[in-house]
Amino acid sequence: MKFRILIQILMIFGAITACTKSDNSEFTDSPIVESYLKPGDHPLIKITRQTPFSSNINYSSDDINSLSIKITDNNISNILTPIGEGQYIDSAITIAEGERYDISFLFNSKSVTAYTEVPNKPRQVTQSVTSITIAQMDFSSGMPTSMPENPDPVSLTWNNPDASYYIVVIENMEKTLTAIRDFGNNTRPGNMFRKAPTTSSGIEIQSMEFQYYGRHRLILYHVLPDYASLYSDKQSSSQNLTNPSTSIMNGYGIFTALNSDTLYLTVKK
Amino acid sequence: MAKRKSNLAGGSRIVLALSILSLILNKPVVAQNVYTLNYPGSTCYLTYISYARDGDYSVIKKPFIFILGEENQTAQQLFDLDTLKKSTAYINFQFIYVPNMGTSPKDKLNCIETLAGSITNNFLFGHANMFLQINDKRITQSDLSLYGLKNVFGKVRFAYPAQRDLALVDTIGNFKEDDLGYKVDKKQKIDNRKEYEKAKVDFFENKTYEKPKKTYMGKPDALNFTLTGIIRDKSTSEALPSASIYVKGTTIGTSTNTDGYFTFLKVPSDTSTLIVQYIGYEKREVFLTPKSDKKNLLIEMIPQSQALQNVTVTAYRDDIVFSRKAEVSTIKLTPKKLETLPSLGEKDIMRSFQLMPGISASNESSSGLYVRGGTPDQNLVLYDGFTVYHVDHLYGFYSAFNSNAIKDVQLYKGGFESKFGGRLSSVTEITSKEGNRNNFNVGGDLSLLSMNLYTEVPIGKKFSSFIAFRRSYKGPLYNKIFDKFNTKPETSTSTPVRQGPGGMFSQNTKVTSYFYDLNGKFTYRPGDKDIVSLSIFNGTDKLDNSVSSEIPSFGQSGSNLNMSSTDLTRYGNIGSSLKWSRKWNSKLYGNTFLSYSNYYSHRDRTQNGTIFNSNNESRTSRNGILENNDLKDYSLKSDYQWDITDFNQIQFGGFATHYDIKYNYAQSDTTTILNRSGQALLGGFYIQSKMKFFNNKLQVLPGIRSSYFETANKMYFEPRASVSYNLTDNLTLKAAYGKYYQFANRVTREDILSGSKDFWILSDGKSVPISSSVHYVAGISYESKNYIFSAEAYYKKIHNLTEYSLRINASPMGINYDENFFNGYGFSKGIEFLVQKNSGNFNGWISYTLGEAKNHFDVYSDTYFPANQDVTHEFKIVGLYNYRRWDFSANWIFATGRPYTAPSGAYSITLLDGSAQDYFTVTSKNSLRLPDYHRLDVSVNYKLYLGSYNDKDRQELGYIGFSLFNVYNRKNIWYKQYAIESGKVIETNVTYLGITPNITISLKFR
Repeated sequence: MKFRILIQILMIFGAITACTKSDNSEFTDSPIVESYLKPGDHPLIKITRQTPFSSNINYSSDDINSLSIKITDNNISNILTPIGEGQYIDSAITIAEGERYDISFLFNSKSVTAYTEVPNKPRQVTQSVTSITIAQMDFSSGMPTSMPENPDPVSLTWNNPDASYYIVVIENMEKTLTAIRDFGNNTRPGNMFRKAPTTSSGIEIQSMEFQYYGRHRLILYHVLPDYASLYSDKQSSSQNLTNPSTSIMNGYGIFTALNSDTLYLTVKK
Repeated sequence: MAKRKSNLAGGSRIVLALSILSLILNKPVVAQNVYTLNYPGSTCYLTYISYARDGDYSVIKKPFIFILGEENQTAQQLFDLDTLKKSTAYINFQFIYVPNMGTSPKDKLNCIETLAGSITNNFLFGHANMFLQINDKRITQSDLSLYGLKNVFGKVRFAYPAQRDLALVDTIGNFKEDDLGYKVDKKQKIDNRKEYEKAKVDFFENKTYEKPKKTYMGKPDALNFTLTGIIRDKSTSEALPSASIYVKGTTIGTSTNTDGYFTFLKVPSDTSTLIVQYIGYEKREVFLTPKSDKKNLLIEMIPQSQALQNVTVTAYRDDIVFSRKAEVSTIKLTPKKLETLPSLGEKDIMRSFQLMPGISASNESSSGLYVRGGTPDQNLVLYDGFTVYHVDHLYGFYSAFNSNAIKDVQLYKGGFESKFGGRLSSVTEITSKEGNRNNFNVGGDLSLLSMNLYTEVPIGKKFSSFIAFRRSYKGPLYNKIFDKFNTKPETSTSTPVRQGPGGMFSQNTKVTSYFYDLNGKFTYRPGDKDIVSLSIFNGTDKLDNSVSSEIPSFGQSGSNLNMSSTDLTRYGNIGSSLKWSRKWNSKLYGNTFLSYSNYYSHRDRTQNGTIFNSNNESRTSRNGILENNDLKDYSLKSDYQWDITDFNQIQFGGFATHYDIKYNYAQSDTTTILNRSGQALLGGFYIQSKMKFFNNKLQVLPGIRSSYFETANKMYFEPRASVSYNLTDNLTLKAAYGKYYQFANRVTREDILSGSKDFWILSDGKSVPISSSVHYVAGISYESKNYIFSAEAYYKKIHNLTEYSLRINASPMGINYDENFFNGYGFSKGIEFLVQKNSGNFNGWISYTLGEAKNHFDVYSDTYFPANQDVTHEFKIVGLYNYRRWDFSANWIFATGRPYTAPSGAYSITLLDGSAQDYFTVTSKNSLRLPDYHRLDVSVNYKLYLGSYNDKDRQELGYIGFSLFNVYNRKNIWYKQYAIESGKVIETNVTYLGITPNITISLKFR
C-alpha cells in the first residue's frame, strides 16, 4: 500500500518536472561610454556595445561609428567627430578646470546623457623623497653578506579640505624594465600600479611595492566619486548580480573628468 | 502407699514441666509481618498482619486464609488469640488477620476484597484457594452475598455457629487446598513473587525493563481531582520538556512544560492509568492508585535502546484511543536520536530539521533554516530563553549548536502562538541539558571535523551542572569545506625558507581557522517549587585566509618589514540567561528570564604594511575593507501558565529588550562608508487562552501580543489564533492565523568572494522600516497504528522587506550609501505532505513540499520575481533500519533548482592605471533556474556495549559511525561565476560538496 502511494507521488512530480522551460535573459542594447576628461586635452569619448550573454540576440540598428554625440559646455553645443572604432573627438574644445560638460546622443531609440565637472588640480602636493635606493635581492649565489636597508615609504601629501577622492598611479618610464627582485615562475607585473582611492590628504607608497628600477611617474589624480566607485567590490556571481554603478542615463560605463599632478621618483640600485 | 503417691506426684511434675516446655516449643518461632493498606484518610486504611507458618512469604501460589476479627478487634489482638494458625493442616497456608473496624457490616466487609486483591496480585491464581473466616458475630450470610464476597473466596466459614447457615456448616478441615484450583491469568505472567521482585529491582536499576504492572485493583478513593507532577529521565533525573501525557481511555491530555512539570485539573479517578510518551524513551503507563502522590507525582522514563522510531510531527499516535495534542505546524526533535541519521562531520540539529517538510534542504551553505519560503533571519532561535543571532559555523556548514549539550528542540514552522514574537516566519526553541542529577558523567565524540567533550557534575541533591566544549581541527574535512568557500588558493607561495645568520629569512605564514563552542548550564533547586538555572553559550568562528610575510633584517640597519594581506573573519555569538522557575501552586507556573546576547562579526580584508625602524617604532598603513557588526541584546521576560479550569489554561507574560546595534563599514582605514548605530527598547506583553471543548475534541488557542518599539514610538498589535478539531480519534483538522512584526533585521549580502557579509540593523521606521507578515495555515492529519499522514497548506504575506546594495547610487556629486536600502514586499505559499512510519525495526518518512516564494521590489522590476530561496518542488525520503547493534539510515533529497540572475551583457572599462575591469548588466532578477539538486546520504552506526550480547546488565558505551555525504557525487551547482574572455561572456559553475565520508566515535561514561 505504501509503495503504491510512493509510486504515485513519484509519477506526479516526474510529470511536473518534465516540463522545464529555459528562459533567456532579455537583452537591452545599451551603449557603453568610456571617457576621461583631462584639462588641456580635447574630449575623447569611446562608445562600445555590450557583449551579450546569450547568443541569439538582436542589436539595435545604430552604427557605433556614426552616432551623433552632442557635447555641451557653457551652453555651447558641438557635435563630436567620429574617428573610427567607436571613438569620437572634438578638437574645438579644450577641457578646462572647473567647467561642466554634458553629453547626449540617441541610441536604441533612447536618449543617453551624462555630465561631469572637472575637479581642481591637486594643491600643495609634497613628496617626501625624489629617489629611493632599493638593493637588488639576488639569492642565486647564496646568502648575501649584508642585508640591505629598507627605505622609508615614499609619502605624498596634498590639500584635501572637502574629502574628495584621490588616486595615485605609479608608472615606470623606462623602456627596458630591470626587476628589483626575482619573480620566479610568476607572471611579470606590468609597469604600472596604483594605490586604492582615498579621501584623506596623504598616501604612502611602500618600497616593497616597486617592482622595477628606474624613473617613475607618480600621478596624483583628483577624481570624482563615480570613478572611485568603479574600484568597489565587483560582483560577478549569479547570487547577487545587480547592474553596475554608473552615472550615465540609459547607458553604462564612465564619463568623468579628472585632474592630476605628476611627480617623479627614481628608484636606484 | 505414701511412697507411690509421692512417686506419682514426682512424675506428674515432670510431665507438667515437659508439657509447659512443649507449649513453649510449640510456639511459632517465625515472627508475623505487619502491613498497612492504603494511607490515612482513605476509606480502607487498615493495619493487617500476614503470617506464614512455614516462613515462606515469597510465594503467592498458595492457599490463603483471611480472618476477620471480632468487633473492634485489631489485627494484633486477633493474631494473638487465633488458634487456626497452629493447626498442622495449615502449615503451608498464609494467614491474613484483618482488623474489625467500623460499625456496620458494610464497613467491615468492604475492604476485604480490596485487601485480598492487592495481596494476591489481583487473584492471580484464582479464587479456589482463598478462604475466609469471620469471627464477627453480627455478620450474616446475607451480608456476604450483599458485598459479593462469595465470589471472592472459595469457601467462607463463620467461627460462631449462631451465624452459620446450615448449608455452610463445615469444620476446620474444609479449608482444604485444592491443587488443581490454581488458575493462572496468562496475560499477567508473573508466577513467582521472587521474580516479580527481581524485575522490580532491575527496573529501578535501569538494567532490564519490564513494564510496570497494575497492582492495585481496588476501588478508587478520589474522583475528578487535580494531579500535578514531573516527568524525568530515570537514570539522569533530567526533566523532560514537552512530553505527552494523557489519561487512558479518555480525551484528557496535556504536555509538560520546559521544566518537565504537568498539571491535570480533572483526573477522573485515582485508579486511572496515565500514558506518557516522549521521543527517545519507552512509552510507559502509570497506574494511579489512591496512594499516589497527587501533588508531586514523579514519573520516570527509560530511554529506548532502538533507533529513531519517531520524529513527532503533531500529536501522539498510538494503538489505543487517546487525545490529540492539537498543535499546528510543530516539529519536535530530540538530539538523542540524531546519532542514527547521516551526518556531515557532526550530528547537527539544524541539518536534521532540513529533512522535514517545509524546510529547505538544498542549501548546503547555510545552517540557518529556510522555513516555508522564509529566510533564516526570520526564524527566531531561542536557546534557554535568550536569542541567538547567528547560528552558523564554518560558512554555514554547521550550526552553532552542540548536540551533546541539547536536550530538546521544538520548531514552530508557522502560525506560532503569542508567546513568541519579533520574527516573521518561524521559531526554534532549544532547551539545553541540565546534567545528570544523580551521577557524574563524562563523554565525548571525535569525528573527521571536530572533537567534542562534555561533562555532567552534580553536587549534592540540589545542584547539577552540564558543560560541553567542541572545537574543530584543521583536518581534511575542515579543509575541504574551507577551500570551497575561499576561491583564492591558499597561497603559501613556495618561498624556500633558508637559514641564515639571525634566523629564517622569509616566511609566508598562514594562520589557522577554526570554530569552537562552549555551552554550560548550572541548575540549582532550592526546594520543590523553585528552580534557578544559569545557561551560558559561546560559539565563535575564526576564518582566516590571510597571508603574511615577515622579512627580518639583520646587520647594521635593524629595521623589519612586515607585509601581510589579511582576509580574516571573526564572528560569534555569546549569550547567557538566568532563569527562575516557580511552581506557585498546582495551577500556576511561571518562568522569568534575565538574559544577555551579543553577536559580533569582524571582517578584515586589508593589506597591511608595518615597518619597525631601529628605534622599534612602528608605522602601519592599511588598505582595504573593514567591516564590523556588533549587536547587544539585554532582555527580561516572564512567562506564566495558569490552569484556571480543566478546559482552560491561560498563558500570559511580559517582555522587555534593549537593543544596541552597531554596524560600520570602512575602506582604507579612514573612509567610513556606512556607519549605523541604533539603540532601542522593545517591550510588551501577551496573553493567550488554551481552551478545550466538546470533550477535548475542539481545542482553540486565541491570543494577542502587543509590543512597544521605542524608535517608532508606537504600539504594535499581533493577534494570533489556532484551532484544532478531532473529527474522529484518528483524524484531526487544524488551522492557524497570526500577525507578526520584526524590529531587528538581518541584511544579507551573499557576495561569495568575500564570504557572507550579513549584518544586523535595527529598523528605524524610515529607510529600514519595520517588517510584518500575516500567516494563514490549514492542515489535516490522520494517524493509524503505525503510520501518520499529514498535509498542511500555508500562505504568508510579508510587508516591508529590506534589501541592501552597496553600489547602486554613484553620481559625479557623490556616492550616497544610506540610500542603498530598498524596500519591497512578498509572499510565500505552499502545501506540505508527510507520510511517516514510526514503528518496527524499519521506519522513516517521505515528505513532499510544493511551494512558491516571490518578492516585489520596485527598484528591480515592477512585477514579482522569485525570491532567492524559492524552491518549487522538494521531495525527501528518510529510511532507518535497526538490527541488533546496528543502525542503518539513508536519506535522499530532491529539490528543483533555485533562481539565479544571469547577466544580459558584459563590458570592460580600462581604468587609469591601465587595468581593465569587467562589468555585467542585468535585465531581470532571478529569472533563470539552476539545475535540480539531489543527493543521497547514508550512514551506518554500530553501538558499543560493555559486556556480551546476552548480558542484560551490559552498559551502553557509545557508538562508532560511518557516514557518506552525497554518495553518488553529484555536482550540485551552488552559483555561477561570470567573466569576459576573448570578447565572450564565460559562465563557470561552482558546485557544492562532492562525496564526503566521515567517521565518528562517541563514548560516554554512563
